[in-house]
Amino acid sequence: MSVHFEDEDFDQQKSLDRKTFRRIAGTVRPHWKWVAGFLISICLVSGLDSFFTYLSKRILDEGILAKDVQALTSLLTLYGILILVQAAGVYAFIYLVGVLGELIRYDLRRKMFNHLQELSLAYYSRTPVGWIMARVTSDTERVADLTTWGLLDASWAVMNILTAMIFMLIINWKLALVVLGLLPILLWVAIEFRRRILAEFRLVRRFNSQITRSYNENITGVRVVKALGREKENMREFSALTSEMYKSGFKAAWLSALFLPTVQILAALAVGTIVWYSGVQSQAGKMTIGGIYAFVTYITFMMWPIQDLARVFAEMQHAIASAERIFNLIDLEPDVKDLPGALQPASIQGDIIFKNVSFGYDDDPPVLHNFNLHVQRGETIALVGPTGGGKSTIVNLLCRFYEPRQGSIYIGNKDYRKLSLKAIQSRIGMVLQTPYLFSGSVRENIRYGRLDASDDEVEEAARLAGAHDFILRLEKGYEEPVGEGGGLLSVGQKQLISLARAILAKPEIFIMDEATSSVDTLTETQIQKGMETLLKQCTSFVIAHRLSTIRRANRILVIEEGKITEMGTHQELLRKQGKYYQLYTRQFRHQMERALDPFEQSSAA
Amino acid sequence: MSTPDQVLNYDLKNAVHPNRLIGLWRLITGFRLHYTIANLSLGLAALAKTGTYLLLQYFVDHFFVQQDAAVHAGIVALGFLVLAALEGGFTFISGRLAAQTAEGVARRLRNYLFDHIQHLTFTYHSQVETGELIQRCTSDVDALRRFFADQAIGAGRVLLLFTVNFIAILQLNTRLAFISIVVIPVVVIISFLFFRKVSKAYEAYQEQDAVLSTTLQENLSGVRVVKAFARQNYEIQKFEQNNWEKFLRGKRLLTMHSLFWPISDTLCGIQMVAGFFTGAMMAINGEISPGTYLAYAGLVVWIIFPIRNLGRLVVQMSTGMVSYNRVCEIIRQERESLDEGDYQPAGNLTGSLMFKNVCFRYEEGNIALEGITFNCQPGQVIALLGSTGSGKTTLVNLLPRFYDYTEGSIKLDGVELKRYPRRYLRQQIGIVEQEPFLFSRTLRENITYGIMREVSQQQIEGAAKAAAILDVIQKFPKGFDTLIGEKGITLSGGQKQRIAIARTLLKDPRILILDDSTSSVDTETEAEIRLALQNLMKGRTTFIIAHRIQSILSADLILVLDKGRIIQIGKHEDLIQQEGMYRKVYDIQTRIEAELEKEIANVGAL
Repeated sequence: MSVHFEDEDFDQQKSLDRKTFRRIAGTVRPHWKWVAGFLISICLVSGLDSFFTYLSKRILDEGILAKDVQALTSLLTLYGILILVQAAGVYAFIYLVGVLGELIRYDLRRKMFNHLQELSLAYYSRTPVGWIMARVTSDTERVADLTTWGLLDASWAVMNILTAMIFMLIINWKLALVVLGLLPILLWVAIEFRRRILAEFRLVRRFNSQITRSYNENITGVRVVKALGREKENMREFSALTSEMYKSGFKAAWLSALFLPTVQILAALAVGTIVWYSGVQSQAGKMTIGGIYAFVTYITFMMWPIQDLARVFAEMQHAIASAERIFNLIDLEPDVKDLPGALQPASIQGDIIFKNVSFGYDDDPPVLHNFNLHVQRGETIALVGPTGGGKSTIVNLLCRFYEPRQGSIYIGNKDYRKLSLKAIQSRIGMVLQTPYLFSGSVRENIRYGRLDASDDEVEEAARLAGAHDFILRLEKGYEEPVGEGGGLLSVGQKQLISLARAILAKPEIFIMDEATSSVDTLTETQIQKGMETLLKQCTSFVIAHRLSTIRRANRILVIEEGKITEMGTHQELLRKQGKYYQLYTRQFRHQMERALDPFEQSSAA
Repeated sequence: MSTPDQVLNYDLKNAVHPNRLIGLWRLITGFRLHYTIANLSLGLAALAKTGTYLLLQYFVDHFFVQQDAAVHAGIVALGFLVLAALEGGFTFISGRLAAQTAEGVARRLRNYLFDHIQHLTFTYHSQVETGELIQRCTSDVDALRRFFADQAIGAGRVLLLFTVNFIAILQLNTRLAFISIVVIPVVVIISFLFFRKVSKAYEAYQEQDAVLSTTLQENLSGVRVVKAFARQNYEIQKFEQNNWEKFLRGKRLLTMHSLFWPISDTLCGIQMVAGFFTGAMMAINGEISPGTYLAYAGLVVWIIFPIRNLGRLVVQMSTGMVSYNRVCEIIRQERESLDEGDYQPAGNLTGSLMFKNVCFRYEEGNIALEGITFNCQPGQVIALLGSTGSGKTTLVNLLPRFYDYTEGSIKLDGVELKRYPRRYLRQQIGIVEQEPFLFSRTLRENITYGIMREVSQQQIEGAAKAAAILDVIQKFPKGFDTLIGEKGITLSGGQKQRIAIARTLLKDPRILILDDSTSSVDTETEAEIRLALQNLMKGRTTFIIAHRIQSILSADLILVLDKGRIIQIGKHEDLIQQEGMYRKVYDIQTRIEAELEKEIANVGAL
């Protein structure tokens, strides 16, 4: 499956797919009363706009020129009343269309988010986060805009042009036909303009994000830039980028500036025709002053509905492309999902067996070939070996983030595909190599492990994880915010909290991917202590880097190129003087150096 | 439309002024004529519009009411066309020139800020947050662009339309003119109050949008955690809450709009009807001609309705002013000059250094280095040992003049370091950090980054080979054209370091600064990195920041630092004889080996 993540802004001219169209209509259908409401009120408002001009004509002809004060008064009274009616209409349509727009945005976002929760890890590993974000944010925006404001503007425009044409036909049908002839030209010009402007704006947006990226890189990499003295070259590259942006931005702006005058001048052609015609004709007395006024006004103001129509039309294609992307996402089937009638046992304790398991990501060559492993309940398995050897894959399969291509995995004598995802995953406690926290307080993050845990239980878990002491030292203790992604805490602190989170979950299977990055010695000791609790309770898999973890494992597996190359206890493997021996001695030196570093001690003291 | 270089390179420092209006005026230096003409054209366009209605007056009065027209109807028709062309033409000129100003000013600002930032000192960079800085360079610059493109010119348009048309109505009939503007102050005030309030509601809406985005982003980035704890329902609830809150805030915003527009419509409408009535009565009584009434009815629209937007424009302009301040805060910072310095040798350095009583103090007065004295010969290796914060990094940062020492003297090839221009020094010094920053470009571009000469593929491959990274690169499907950060392409810390080594080999500096405190476990490649580093150090004066004895053993001079001072200095053979920190470090190494042996022996005995 290949998806282009880059250029969604430059959609191909898509033929209006009827199915997509129908589905877009489907998202609005539940709210049809709102739609009917705003359509009625906008038609009222729009019709009244045209009617006001017609009233003004009658005020002139029947009031002023006829010198009839009574007619004048009643016409103006009607005018006044209709202004109030129109105001009510304006209130109704802004409220209805606006709130409906928000409602549809809300609805689409909710649908997408909920569906995203079901998609498998495979989807996430091949789809950049930024791309998904854009679907949920800008695509929903566009679709909601089309179905609400777009529909409204188009209806207003059509109604406005229609009613104006009717009144013009009533006043003077011949001249009205002249205007009618001009209309398609005006529309065509307007749409052509809009398309080009829109294309430039898209370019501007793209350059803008490139510029932001350049700023970002140049600021975060400022040390390298300075050290290598690359300022001039960078500036040259950057100013090429801003020049491009300038060109597009300027072009978009002057095209916009040219757009209205062009329409205006075209309209003036019609006005000129009418003046010339009625000026000649007035001798014959066919066209009234009010009539002329009405025509001039209708034509002058006709550029607004035309502009709106053009805008909606130009944006429609992109909105439809957006809608298609949204529907594609919603229609996407998760790679891993519950089989019908999946079991929901209260506990999944028991042996874990990998039987002839083969697996590879996407279409890539397999990472695991014919992998076999039998883990007894309560055992602690340490996985060691080079990066990319398959350690994480074993863990991913066990969590059923992915399912084996061939072979099966049994948990407690059951093929785990017969269990529900929830049954498996809710019984697993996991600590990731780069621990991830959610913005919120420390307490909320620990409670993520078990949502109904009491404050006491949260604190008990923190104590067991060895996190309690440092948490109390935080300014607000358990209520301290951790920042976006846990950014306000150190890596070690995040690890302790995610350990507490796992402890609170009371898992039956514990999985830990030990961090390679350094934490201070004290934190490390605490992490070890925290793990104790879990290792004792659970069947555990640890992707291990720390000596103590490795040593206390029941079995150590050296995983290389998707296979177990060595397996046994620490002593057995060490005696063998093979791969494990090398790994261990290197790790031993490294860790001891850090543990015994005289500088660390002196700075701590 | 091409902008002259002198305009493009205008030093924006001059645009920093305590009075924001003066500052904004200076910001458009080079475009002032454009901008003035843009505003004048607006006035002319407004005049042409007014002219249209006056022509209508003439047409009606002389062709219909009195039928005494001295010209042919065709001429009047042509008049309408000409006026429309004038209005359209001037509107276009105004729009185009305003766009040129706004886009030009924005481009100049972007360029200036970019260059400015890369010339600001390390002290500044260590203080500011990246996100904040980027925000100012993008969003605030864009706010300033809109200020010139839409807001200032928009406000000018509203005021000009009002003025020109009001004067025209005054000409038609004074009483009518004053009756027509009764409601205007009220509308202006309401509009101002409303838009101030609505901009707050809009901010609240945007804030919630940011919250929602964060929730979404965290959910996507933390997807493994969500799944590992089977917390999908909880996440759905959390998102639902924020999503609903955004809906509510959007609803609030729209409710405000749905009240303002009909109310202001009604006010303006009633004003208009009152004007119509007065005008019509005057026309019936013969005070004004029907043509005059007609012109009035057309003109009055243009003094009433546009005024409703004044509040919006004023409120938006004030945010533009805030952006001006935020941008100025960056511009106000002093750059470090790359060329300042009176001594620039024609060739390369030899690389001898004399530190004498060097001291470095931060601006706040904290001492980072004190009494640093030592000498080194060209090609020697100087190892720096010490805890985090002991001053190792600060010391090496003095060499490329990232920071300037505050006391004492450093002589490089016998000449005071401060006399060398920074650019020259940085060309002569190579830095390899422990986990170097790579740019999201191709590997090739990263390796040749900052190399000021043409480099052949052969040279690149040679450097990559010497840096022990060639194999890794060739394993990628796209080889040297692999884009860093592309899907699936992640380099380990050690690999990044070797890319930096290749880059430094190409740069071929005389002085080398190495950060060798390999704390990340990249065990398989440790030997390779060591080899690569040895290739790199050949024939260069090298400073190694190190934790480990192995890389120090062969150093010509070892400096042990603590709290900014040298506590031990000498060669390995000397230092090992002394009581002190160095011996402690060394002893630990021996102890580790002993313990390892013991442990393995224990196992064997089982």
